[in-house]
Amino acid sequence: MIPRSPGKVRAKITHALERGSEKSIALASSPGDGYFSGSMSPVPSRNQSPGTALSFDAIFAKVQVRFPAAGAGSAPNGARWIEVPAPQALDVANFLKGDPDLSFDSLCCLSGIDLLRFPAPEKDGPTSDALVCAYDLQSMKHRHELMVKVCAPRPKPEVPSVESVWGVAGYFEREIFDLLGVEFPGHHDLRRILTPQDWVGHPLRKDYVYPEAYGGVALKREGQTFESGPYK
Amino acid sequence: MTISVGPVSDSIASWFSLRGLPLALSEILAVLVVCVLPVVGIVFPIAGVAQYFERKIAASMQRRKGPMVGAVGIVDLVADMLLFWLPRWKRRAAARRVERLPVLGALLRQVRQWGLGSMAADGVKMFLKEDMVPGGADRFLFRGSTYLALTGAFLAFAVFPFSQWYHMGDPPVAALYLGAVTGLVAVSILEAGWSSNNKWSYFGGIRAVAMIVSYETPIALAIAIVCMWSGTMSLQGIIAAQYHPGWFSFAGWNLFQSPLLTLLAGVYYIAALAECNRAPFDLSEGESELVGGFHTEYSGLRWGLFFIAEYGDMLLVGGIFATLFLGGFQSPIGEQWIVSLPPFAEAVVHTLIAVAKALASVGFMMWIRWTLPRFRIDQVMKLAWTKLVPLALFCLFGLALTQLVAAQRVGVVQVVYGRYLSAPVVRLDLFSWFSSWVLVGGAIGVVVWMAKRAAPAQAPEMRRLLGKESA
Amino acid sequence: MNVEREGDYITLSMGPHHPATHGVLRLEVTTDGEVIRACKPDIGYLHRSIEKIGEFLEWYQFVPYTDRVDYVCSMNSNHAWVCAVETLLACSEETKLAIPERAEYIRILFAELNRISSHMVGLGSMTMDMGAFTPFLHALSQREFINDIFEKTCGARLTYNYMCVGGLVRDLHPGAEEEIRAMLKGLERAMIDFNRLISSNNIFKARLAGVAAVSAEDAVSYGLVGPNLRGSGIDFDLRRDKPYGLYGRFQFEVPVGKAYAGSEGRLGDCYDRYVVRLLEVLESIRICRQALDQMPPASGVEDDLVGGWCVAKAAQKALRKPPVGEVYFRCENPRGETGYHIVSDGTKFPYRIKIRTGSFTAMSIFEKLVPGLMIADLVALIGSFDIVLPEVDR
Repeated sequence: MIPRSPGKVRAKITHALERGSEKSIALASSPGDGYFSGSMSPVPSRNQSPGTALSFDAIFAKVQVRFPAAGAGSAPNGARWIEVPAPQALDVANFLKGDPDLSFDSLCCLSGIDLLRFPAPEKDGPTSDALVCAYDLQSMKHRHELMVKVCAPRPKPEVPSVESVWGVAGYFEREIFDLLGVEFPGHHDLRRILTPQDWVGHPLRKDYVYPEAYGGVALKREGQTFESGPYK
Repeated sequence: MTISVGPVSDSIASWFSLRGLPLALSEILAVLVVCVLPVVGIVFPIAGVAQYFERKIAASMQRRKGPMVGAVGIVDLVADMLLFWLPRWKRRAAARRVERLPVLGALLRQVRQWGLGSMAADGVKMFLKEDMVPGGADRFLFRGSTYLALTGAFLAFAVFPFSQWYHMGDPPVAALYLGAVTGLVAVSILEAGWSSNNKWSYFGGIRAVAMIVSYETPIALAIAIVCMWSGTMSLQGIIAAQYHPGWFSFAGWNLFQSPLLTLLAGVYYIAALAECNRAPFDLSEGESELVGGFHTEYSGLRWGLFFIAEYGDMLLVGGIFATLFLGGFQSPIGEQWIVSLPPFAEAVVHTLIAVAKALASVGFMMWIRWTLPRFRIDQVMKLAWTKLVPLALFCLFGLALTQLVAAQRVGVVQVVYGRYLSAPVVRLDLFSWFSSWVLVGGAIGVVVWMAKRAAPAQAPEMRRLLGKESA
Repeated sequence: MNVEREGDYITLSMGPHHPATHGVLRLEVTTDGEVIRACKPDIGYLHRSIEKIGEFLEWYQFVPYTDRVDYVCSMNSNHAWVCAVETLLACSEETKLAIPERAEYIRILFAELNRISSHMVGLGSMTMDMGAFTPFLHALSQREFINDIFEKTCGARLTYNYMCVGGLVRDLHPGAEEEIRAMLKGLERAMIDFNRLISSNNIFKARLAGVAAVSAEDAVSYGLVGPNLRGSGIDFDLRRDKPYGLYGRFQFEVPVGKAYAGSEGRLGDCYDRYVVRLLEVLESIRICRQALDQMPPASGVEDDLVGGWCVAKAAQKALRKPPVGEVYFRCENPRGETGYHIVSDGTKFPYRIKIRTGSFTAMSIFEKLVPGLMIADLVALIGSFDIVLPEVDR
């Protein structure tokens, strides 16, 4: 006689096996354990990381072999990124996604930063007025992450569109175009996205002048200024 | 010249003329009583009452406390409306004083508990809203479609038998007339959708036409099959053919005559749901897809007319279902005690029974509406043409076959009921009863086999979601 | 769009005031009868420039604005922001904050409760989009119970402003743990009722099966996150794979799509996304129970345990001069990854805040996914992506 529904028994067995394996994995605190480092040692649950994740230095080395113009940058808080000249951005993106060891298939975030009022790295050093596109990348395959930065100098900021590499970049680029005014040649539909189509200026730029009125409607109350923030 | 629409109008006319009215006037009055009273006196109020019960059903199914449990009282409402110039706490105090009144207060408390306040408020709102015609709309058609919807819903009541004495008319082709008249709903919805100058309305209208025209087919087939079974196209005749002497008169209902007829009743009911645009077939309205569908642009009383037409349609469909399959106005527990009553009392009792059966169907429709999600248009079409029409045809051939066999073996029985002195009816004998069970059983088996073959085993996660397997 | 015969197509403006768009989303839809040929999302009707506002506020003042980024799951938004700032502060030894353990547990407990309530809204409104009104109200009634608990603890039902950098605003209200346990028990029963009512309904399945299936590659490329990504079969959950807070201490499964709808279904269709959300609710219940079990008890001295005033003071001191630099912090919200890309120039004002939200990136796939669907399918698609418009427009 054929056993009719072994599913339940099998499910129980696999469940028990999984529980056992969970107990046996005694991973140390993984680097992705976040900001918290309390006194208790955390017991991580199953981490799907395949163990092929590369460190930043390894990734940077691979990129630099192919693109010698790429450089590494870092912030005082320990954040590190790869800086790519704007004309090469699309090629680098293709490489980062296509290389089997890197395979950054996911663009988590693409943020635009206006460096106009950012203090110089060294005291009395030169400041930059560039607009920066920061690409936060992640690989679903290897589970490593990377930040790539592309600088677009101010008078005519232009960064080639990476829409063909990561589909989601299309929307992110439209947002940056809208709020920061960076052009993305190669984008199929580069229009404003959050503000109205006839809006003047790019609100997230640090030298943005708040308009007095839009469409005949006054936007400021009497005596109201927008200078009260950090930049007096 | 005399006009007559049946024995009831004759007797009423003679009652008037005996009291000194001119003959012509008394006959006109009698016709008005007979023809207008059912619509104005029965169908209109029931459309409102049905809406009230729908709210009750929905509230209890959704386990929510709302206006139907008395969160907002009519006392507060009336006080708020009437004493609007007073500050709020004074209005409250006035409301409390009203509540302490001996009779009125108790009555108002009851009304509040029954949730009639929101009904009244809704009615008032509907009457007071502005009747708007959108710019660019076809004003003539825009207004006309509401009347057409009402006409379609109520014309059919002209042949609806409330009792064997009380109906507007019983033409020998009443079943054909039904099919012709109920199709008007599609025209009115198309008109409304087209004339509103709104794309969503237009989509609603087109969907309604596509759907209603498709579902006319199984409905027409079902009515035709019942006519074939009963040997007459008159609705009174169909009801008379379902007469069964004795206390267990429900045994004569078409629903229980043959399993094929039971199947047919299901087909008819599903198709009828689609015919009245009720969920899960409310695509033409589809408030989450088409905003409001064909009545997006209607407001106030004009929208209310569509609303009443919908409920009138539901009542009509329930009534026809009762007529075709549930013995019409006959009581399920013996007819002799009703038929022996004087004609007036008999008409009242029969009307009540007919309305009760129709309302039971309407209640079932409401239950379905608040349970099921909506179909997609291609699924609706698929259901009509690949499921309901073949099933109806299957019933047609099966019933014809069994009826033929039974007529050969047993012969035609004469049923005597009321003024239909003899209705020729074929009753199934044991052999044809069994053979129809074999037919239906085979059909069910095929359907189950196909369903089983199509459906893979349920994923364990789904079993867990349904509580059949603990995590 | 390739218009072969002009005039055979109708251009519909679906929204911004359309019942199925869950807010003020406008879709410019070109249809051929019922079948959609092209779809262009038009967003921005709810743009409040929260990112710009953030540049004028001090770090800790931004918490109420995160409530408004996604008001359906304000706790999760709070959690993401607070964790992001704490990550920035942890980069330097001087500014590093010691967050009380109880506060961490309460954060996770409330984040998971809010995930449940958010999923209840998402699932319920999806059933309502499908034309079933009753399950919507059943789902929302469960959300009300969760809101009651939140209200008792932090005084608000929608925008909580409960978490602060360094801890929480206040401890759980007395008796909260029993209330939450009772609520979870009722929720489990209600979920079974809900599933029997609608999830296993054949019409519902047929409406969703095989509709708008997103392949795994597309899901990754177009930035789908959270349940939408897992619905396409990708086993990725930040709570497990990149744990923040104390998530490393919890045992839970990550449900993924498996073409649950049966023979009609395809991997990554609307029904998969729906089922993934349902299963996530059950997992969240598990996490809540574990958090309640593991949580250290309240000692009565509120400040020691949940942050409160003295930790907040320490946090304020740290936030006056935070480390200079950048942080991209990712947090698993009900609508998927919410990322805060923070740039700090060492002052008490953030230099730049970029909020990456799940709904915004989900909008990007519409242009590719929608052509070929019917209008009713588009409604199902919006519902299954669980799009919340303030999160799209920010």
